[in-house]
Parts: sequence; C-alpha cells; structure tokens
Amino acid sequence: MADVIASARAEGRTLLTEVESKQLLAAAGIPVAMAHLAPKAKQAVEIADEIGYPVVMKIVSPDIAHKSDVGGVVVGLKDAKAVRKAFKDMITRVQEVAPNAKIHGVAIQSMAKQGTEVIVGSTTDPQFGPVMMFGLGGVFVEVLKDVAFRIVPLEPRDARQMVREIKGLPILQGVRGQEPADIEAIESLILRVSEFIAKHPEIAELDLNPVFAYPDGALAVDARVVLTSPEAAS
Amino acid sequence: MTIDKKRLNRMLNPKVVVVVGDKGPEYRWLSQLSEFTGQAYSVQLDEKEIPGIEAKGFQNFKSLMDIPGEVDLVICAVPRQIAPYIVADAVKKKVGGIQLYTSGFIETGEELGAQLQGKIATMALEANMPLVGPNCLGVYNRHLGVKFAGEQEQGEGGDVSIISQSGTHGTSLSIGAQRYNVKVRRGVSIGNAAVLVEADYLDYLKNDPETPAIAMYLEGIRDGRRFAKLLRETTPKKPVVIWRGGRTRAGARAVKSHTASLASNDAIWSALMKQSGAISADSQEEAVDVMQALVHSPRNSKRNVALIAMTGGQSVAITDQFEKAGFEVPELSAKSYKRLSEFFNTIGGSYRNPFDAASTIGREADNLAKILDVLADDRAIDGGCAIELGVRNVDKGTEQLDAMLDVMRKYRDKTKLPVLALMPEGSAMGGAAEGLVTARTHVARAGFPVYPSFSRGAAALGRVATYWAWRDEIRSRK
Repeated sequence: MADVIASARAEGRTLLTEVESKQLLAAAGIPVAMAHLAPKAKQAVEIADEIGYPVVMKIVSPDIAHKSDVGGVVVGLKDAKAVRKAFKDMITRVQEVAPNAKIHGVAIQSMAKQGTEVIVGSTTDPQFGPVMMFGLGGVFVEVLKDVAFRIVPLEPRDARQMVREIKGLPILQGVRGQEPADIEAIESLILRVSEFIAKHPEIAELDLNPVFAYPDGALAVDARVVLTSPEAAS
Repeated sequence: MTIDKKRLNRMLNPKVVVVVGDKGPEYRWLSQLSEFTGQAYSVQLDEKEIPGIEAKGFQNFKSLMDIPGEVDLVICAVPRQIAPYIVADAVKKKVGGIQLYTSGFIETGEELGAQLQGKIATMALEANMPLVGPNCLGVYNRHLGVKFAGEQEQGEGGDVSIISQSGTHGTSLSIGAQRYNVKVRRGVSIGNAAVLVEADYLDYLKNDPETPAIAMYLEGIRDGRRFAKLLRETTPKKPVVIWRGGRTRAGARAVKSHTASLASNDAIWSALMKQSGAISADSQEEAVDVMQALVHSPRNSKRNVALIAMTGGQSVAITDQFEKAGFEVPELSAKSYKRLSEFFNTIGGSYRNPFDAASTIGREADNLAKILDVLADDRAIDGGCAIELGVRNVDKGTEQLDAMLDVMRKYRDKTKLPVLALMPEGSAMGGAAEGLVTARTHVARAGFPVYPSFSRGAAALGRVATYWAWRDEIRSRK
C-alpha cells in the first residue's frame, strides 16, 4: 500500500493513476470496481478474458486527470476483438490530444451494473485540514453544486446528515417507482473514506466519481487520488 | 508553544494592572479602569502627560521595572517602534501577560509592521508569556472592572463571554448584549493574534466555570484544526454563538479534483457549524438576538408554540414567521377551547392559535393570565409562547406593562417553557417610537427576550431550539 505512494513520490508525481488509487482504496476496505493495468493489447485481452465480458477500458496516465476529455474511456467492449481494436484506437487518440502525456497503458475493469450516481470526495482546506464531500453525481454536482461537506474525522451522525442534507435526496430514496438506494451503504463508504483520509495526511485530494449506489450496496467505479506536493509533505 | 495557563489566568483575572503609554486628554485606558477593583498603575515617560495621569489619581512610574510587586496585566498603548522595549520589560518583570493596543503591525501589509510583529511574538513565545493582540482592545472582566470600552458594566453575574477578532465588534457585542440584560462575564478582543490564537481563548472559556455561554466574532482562523476540535468539545458543555464576518477568498489554487473545486470557504464553515452544533449568526443583531433567547429562556428543544398577537393581521404575520423558522402552531385541545370560550371576546378576535387578542386583553392583565393558564395546561404547546406586547400607554407609567410581565413570568415558571416578548415597530398597539424603545429595555430588564420584529424573535428562538435539540441528541448517544 505504501509502495504505491512511495513509487509515485519517487517519480515526482502527485497524481495517482486510477489503478494505483483503487489499489489503495481497496486495501482500506472501500468498495471499488477493481481496474487492472494492461500495458499492451495482449494483456488487455487476457484480463478481459479472465474477468468476463463486457468490459470497460480507460487510459492510464499520471499526466491525465480527466480521462473522458481526451477520449480515454470506452465502455461495453464485448469480446477480445473489440478490446484489441479499442486499445489501438485509444492510444492513438490520446497521443494525438495529449502528445506529452506519459502512458502506462490501459485499465480494464468489469462493466459495473448501472446504479444511482453519487460522488464522494475529500480535499484539504487551508484552515481546517482534510474535509469530505458528498453529492449526487453528474449534473447535480457539476451544475447545481448540490453537495454537503464535513470536516474529517466524521462521526456516524455526520455521514447520516450529509446524505440527508442534499436537495436531491428523494432521488436516492426512490422516485417514479425506482427502488431506493442503499443509503446505509453510502454512509458506511463515507465513513471508511473519512478513516482512510485521517490515517493518510499525504493525501491532498480524492474523488470517487462516480460511486454507484444500488438497492443493495455501493461501489466506487472511478477513483482519483492526489498526493500533497512534496514540499508540503516534508 | 504551549500557553502557560497559570499566567493566562492571572492576566485575564488581574489584581494588578499597569497601563503603559496612556495619553491625554482622555487617558482612555486609565479612565476605563475607574471601576477596577484591584491596583492600577501608569508607566509614562512623557513629562507632558504625567500631571494629567496623576490628576486622575494614578501613580506613575518611569519604567515597568520600577513597579512594586507582581504585575498581572500590562496594557501597552505605546507607538509600534517602542512596543518591543515594553514587551522586553514585561518579560523581565515576569508579568502575567501583556495586551498590545499598539497597532501598525502585520495588518498594515508593510514589511516593517510584519518584522516588528515577528519580533514581539518571538520574545513572548520564548518567555512563554501570554500576549493578546497586537492591534487589539484586549481584556474585559466584568467582576473586576477591567474594561476595553467605557460603557462596559462592572458588577456581579455573567451569562456569556465574548471572543472577537475585531475590537469594534467585541465592543458592539458586549454593549449590545448588556443593553438587553445579557451580562457579559468576559471579553477578549484578540487583534492580530500573534501569540494567543482563537483556539487558546476558546480553550480557556471552555473550562471557565463562570462562562455559561460563548459568543464569537471571527473572520478567519489560525490553527483551524485545533479550533474545530475544541469547538466540538465545547458545545456539548455550553452553547457557542459564532458570527462570521468577511468572506475570505480561497485564492487561485490549482486543484485536480471536483471536490476541491467545490470546497468553498462558506461550505466548510457551514460544515463546521453543523458538526460542532455551534449556533451561527450573520450579524451583530442576530448574535445578540440569539444570546437573549439563550440566556432569558428555559432550555427547550420543542417546537409547538402558542402565538398571541393583538390584531388579525398580526396573528397572520406572526404565524408566518414562526412557521418559517421551523415552528408548529398547533390547534389546542377541545377542553382548552371550551375554557377560552367562557371569557374570550370573539367579536374582533379569535383564539384558535394564533390568538387575535387585543379585544380580550385590552388594558387588563387578567385576561392574559386566563389565556396563559389555559395554555399552560394544554399539552399541545411544548415550545413556549410568543406574545406581541402592546405598550400604548407606557409613557404614563409601567404598571400595566409590569402586570403583563408578572403574568408571563408565572406562565414561564410553571411550564419551564420560553416566553418571548415581541414589540414590533408600527404595530397598532405599539405606541410612540420613544415609548417603544424605553419599553423594550424595561421588558429586557424584567428578564424576557425582547425583539423588535416577529421574524427576529422567531429566528432566534428557532436557532436556540435547534441547539438544545442537538445537545439532547449528543447526550443521549453518550
């Protein structure tokens, strides 16, 4: 676990790749859709064969924070042929858009069943240190900024209140015949992240975006960890 | 550094105070010590100033080092270039602590100011000497008569203590509170907080048995994590009201995550308030409004209130405001309605809750007493009572008003529920403006929270009820 952070530090990076981020989070008991690094097309196919189709492919680069902006995400790959083609296309596309980005390869993960999208994140406030955020994903966070913050460490009541504080709560409780999301699972995920952040002062920012909330459980589908800059860490 | 708590305690509860560098014609700092219960001295080198100081009855010395015996608090009012010499003497003299009224430090944004502040802070820190400020009004102690504003009261009691980053607002909060019969036990105007920071004062007040509640004016926080932790430890013991002024900009930080881009200063403050159970206020009057409701009401977290207005229009307005503040205005029991029907004048009035009561109460307190008796027995009302007080004839004497207040006090004693006196501008029963102002003070002195509008009363009681509900919840979990 410390290896991921140490190797990023050794390379002078503060942005962890999705694969690295998820390794850290999974080790902390946070439910994540594991992503497996494939430096070449051959490994991508091997991994996809093993975890089962369909799969999602995402670019892995420490220099790219927003993967979909560079065409670095493809979903619903149904077979080995599709994976091989997607790999080639993606590398070409990303190299065109971001010629200076160092590319580790791609990450292959199972297609997670669609759930209600929420975001769980943390950042470091200049006055109060690490803080956490919760909100509904997509347009709710980006346009409406319908989010709730708390200062780390969180108590169970803080997580409970955060989820209930957002205006979009009825969406989680189930509207138009949709099954309600497992709010307890979201709360428990928030509390685990709070614990994780409290234990790791070297983490400056964290986004789990999206987390899929299901009627039974919750799963972080994408993850991004940003370390403190080395000057701040020393 | 670790704050020497013994010295801090000496400084905040001084027996011997020395004012360094006070100037005529007002001799502000020495004048403010006119009710000081301990021994006060002056230090002044300027020959022109010394006769004025002695005429005020203070013994003057040429140096802090010449003062006989121990000194608990030094009030330093010298120009900034002289300040380091006074701080050095204070260190040598081993005083309890020093407060620097002196300004011209880091707040100027000048290199010299920053250098001087660094110099005095280092001297104080190395000597473990508490230093308040610089650029501050310093310490107020009600019992001892140490004041930073002339109008501050000296005497017994104490309902709330104040921490303020602004001298003006330290004054406005303490004067505003005492005007409404809220006794300020202690006050500290903390200035640039070069040595003692927000958390140090909060730590002191948290453990101060003579401080039942705390009010703060803050702009930004130094040592925010410690402050947040202390705040969480304080609010289960005593209520904390925080008025935050200014909107500090986060600055153009390069952020890589959604979360960071949304973490505005306001969002984090609001999180701190919710997590700590502190009561937030957006202005001086909101802070004082809340202090009144806290101090002059029995602890109560329930929200079913009875509202008594004088006219039909006001009974609608008062209900709107209390509902907006999160209260319920429930119907009463059949038994209550039966009792009310026996005496209530329903021609030009009604008693459903809200009450439209002028035609029944008129000029006599007897019928208000009957109404409150009914309400006291009705279990639907668990959040107390808000009453629009008519004061039309208050210029001819307060007997009528006092009779009403007696009745209200009896209800409060019997039910242990809050009773608010609402005395709005321009109300049909309000009377002339001058009379209204006098009457509000009179009602506050009688020990009731009093508000010049329904909305302010409702909002203040709402915040206080939220605090007690939070505290009940916290306690039930432990």
